[in-house]
Amino acid sequence: MKRWIRCAAVLLSAGGLLATAACGGSSGKQSDGKVTVTLMTWESAATNKAIDQALTGFHDPNITVRRVDTPNGNYSDKLAALTQAKKLPDLFWCGNDTEQQYTSQGLLTDWASRLSDSSDFGASSFVSSTMKNWKTADGKIGGVPSLLNTYGIWYDIDAFKAAGITVPAAGWTWDQMFDAAAKLHAKGAKYGLVADALTSTDGPFSLSTYALSAGGKPFADNVHQPTKTTIDSTYTEGVGKVVAGIKSGAIAPPGYDISNQQGLFAAGQIPMLWSGQWLAAGFLTDKPKIKYGFAPLPQVTKPATLYDAVGICTPSYTQNADATFKVLKYLDSTVWTKVLPDSPVAAPAYLSSQSAYFGALDKAGQTTVAATVKAGLNTPTTIGVRFTTQWASQSNDLITAYWPDILNGKKPLSDLQTMTDKINDVIKNNS
Amino acid sequence: MFLAPALIGFTAFVVYPLFRSAYFALTTYNGLTDPKFVGLDNFRRMFTTDPSFWPSVRATLLLVVLYVPLSLIIGLALAVFCNQRMRGVGLLRTLCYLPVVLPVVATITLWKFVFNPQVGLANQVLHWLHLPTSEWLSGDDSAMPSIVIVMLWSVGSTMIIFLAALQAVPTELYEAARLDGAGSRTVFFRITLPLISPIMILQVVLQMVTALQAFNQPKILSPDNQGGPGFSTRTLMLSIYDNGFPRLGQVSQFGYASAQVWVLFLVIVVVIAATARFSSIWTYSDHVS
Repeated sequence: MKRWIRCAAVLLSAGGLLATAACGGSSGKQSDGKVTVTLMTWESAATNKAIDQALTGFHDPNITVRRVDTPNGNYSDKLAALTQAKKLPDLFWCGNDTEQQYTSQGLLTDWASRLSDSSDFGASSFVSSTMKNWKTADGKIGGVPSLLNTYGIWYDIDAFKAAGITVPAAGWTWDQMFDAAAKLHAKGAKYGLVADALTSTDGPFSLSTYALSAGGKPFADNVHQPTKTTIDSTYTEGVGKVVAGIKSGAIAPPGYDISNQQGLFAAGQIPMLWSGQWLAAGFLTDKPKIKYGFAPLPQVTKPATLYDAVGICTPSYTQNADATFKVLKYLDSTVWTKVLPDSPVAAPAYLSSQSAYFGALDKAGQTTVAATVKAGLNTPTTIGVRFTTQWASQSNDLITAYWPDILNGKKPLSDLQTMTDKINDVIKNNS
Repeated sequence: MFLAPALIGFTAFVVYPLFRSAYFALTTYNGLTDPKFVGLDNFRRMFTTDPSFWPSVRATLLLVVLYVPLSLIIGLALAVFCNQRMRGVGLLRTLCYLPVVLPVVATITLWKFVFNPQVGLANQVLHWLHLPTSEWLSGDDSAMPSIVIVMLWSVGSTMIIFLAALQAVPTELYEAARLDGAGSRTVFFRITLPLISPIMILQVVLQMVTALQAFNQPKILSPDNQGGPGFSTRTLMLSIYDNGFPRLGQVSQFGYASAQVWVLFLVIVVVIAATARFSSIWTYSDHVS
């Protein structure tokens, strides 16, 4: 009996050791009284190194910052595991969708009061649309926006010249884009335009920019708390033009493998690419042989663009909110000014840090990228890139069931209404 | 006492998760809040409103139909070939089995490059041969056959089991058949195949389970890593994974994924039971001494 009890104790101790060994870190006091603030990013090894380097400039005698290593390819799995284990680090990279979902579940620290009180790091210190989007319905702010994505069209200048087409610029129209795609395709390009944003599950949202620009209604009235999805005549018109473009071979169809689209664009094999400003950082490193530019998204009558921001969140159980907020402030302001000059991946949401990003682009001669990002940030008419709701995956499945077949011409345009009706059922069932 | 470690491990990692997933299957659970009991709602949703469930069943069955016969035929053909007495047969067997020991994810990723419609080796070869190129993994109709090709890359494991079975067939039976004037085809169909039929049944079951649980290939090879284009390569296993561990920014549906796991489990049980039930019809059951 005694032996059994001893064995059980040994096994339990071993289990306990294993369990504690698997724990992540959250802010806590060290033996010397210092507070450790933990941080987790989804960045590449190179960017993480730059962040670590920038964090050496953070001086507070009572705070130590420790970054938790994460394989950036498995960030979502690690985030899910740490969330369930209630072992999230004090600061972790998050999307607007994660911030909205976690805040609504009470999982994040609400920074709303600090952001309104602080003079140099308040809500007004950020691009206004981002703060608006990061607020939940009940006014909470569970994370602070850090970087903003701007979407536009990357174009191969030589391909345009060879086809005798004027290169895209602010104010160009959707019809001009479709026309250019057709001409580039006729000139020998496999596809004149590669636009995964139009053909993937985010497609219905991306195409909202057509409807909004034409004075119509967007696909969803709100990506955070939608009450309905709508397909109006302007929207259907836009989809019809994409369908025609895919049918003629001018636009890459749904299912096109985008895994190496950046490389293909740089190699001159994709003359027009719908993507984000983040490609610029890669181009600066890889130095493509082609001459290229970046133009704002096309319009019908007025500019309309996509809104997409990422940020930094803090779990509700962080042990030292004051220290965490200090580090957060340093990360969101100073760190980007040190990291972005070497890797201008996106514009910071914190207004005072933006000069570092635009300065880096100007220095690298990326004038069209800088101009397009500025245009994107200043466009008042925007739509989110996807639903940020708990049930987003259910609507994604419905989009997958209809959208690609509609674009490929396998289903009629009238099925857009069927798709929205079914998504509206999901909204109704989950509201 | 000696069984304790194994029992604890089995209980912690098999029995407990089994019952836990059965419970989750009857709840809505997103990993953020406590599970909420909903009875059979997950199963109702699966069979009636989920637009991805039946396409994923179809994709899985298509994979079974394509992969199982091909893996058996190719595996057996290779085994017969590697069972010959000739120079270099050891090297040949090694080459056939080599893909099995290579890291799975790395080889699948290389295949993704091979099948790239723009710059992939597959289309370049077709182009050199003046044959029409394919969209491979990007085409609705060609995506699943492409995945089957990649799965067949590891047919060496099937071959090795068949090879062991072939080598267990008594040589005197072959000698007697030859004396009676039987040709190679007759020998194969009248002697070899009946005598290795129990192994064939085992292989059918193993390959069916492999196909029903296919995950790595569709996950890595599909253009969107979610079983695209559309739902054409979204197998049940991939559907389960994506519902349980969705892409960044989407909330987990552990309850729904658990319900799908149990459906897949029942499908596998039925398939194996049916195979075992009907195996006696075409299995030669005399013991080979």
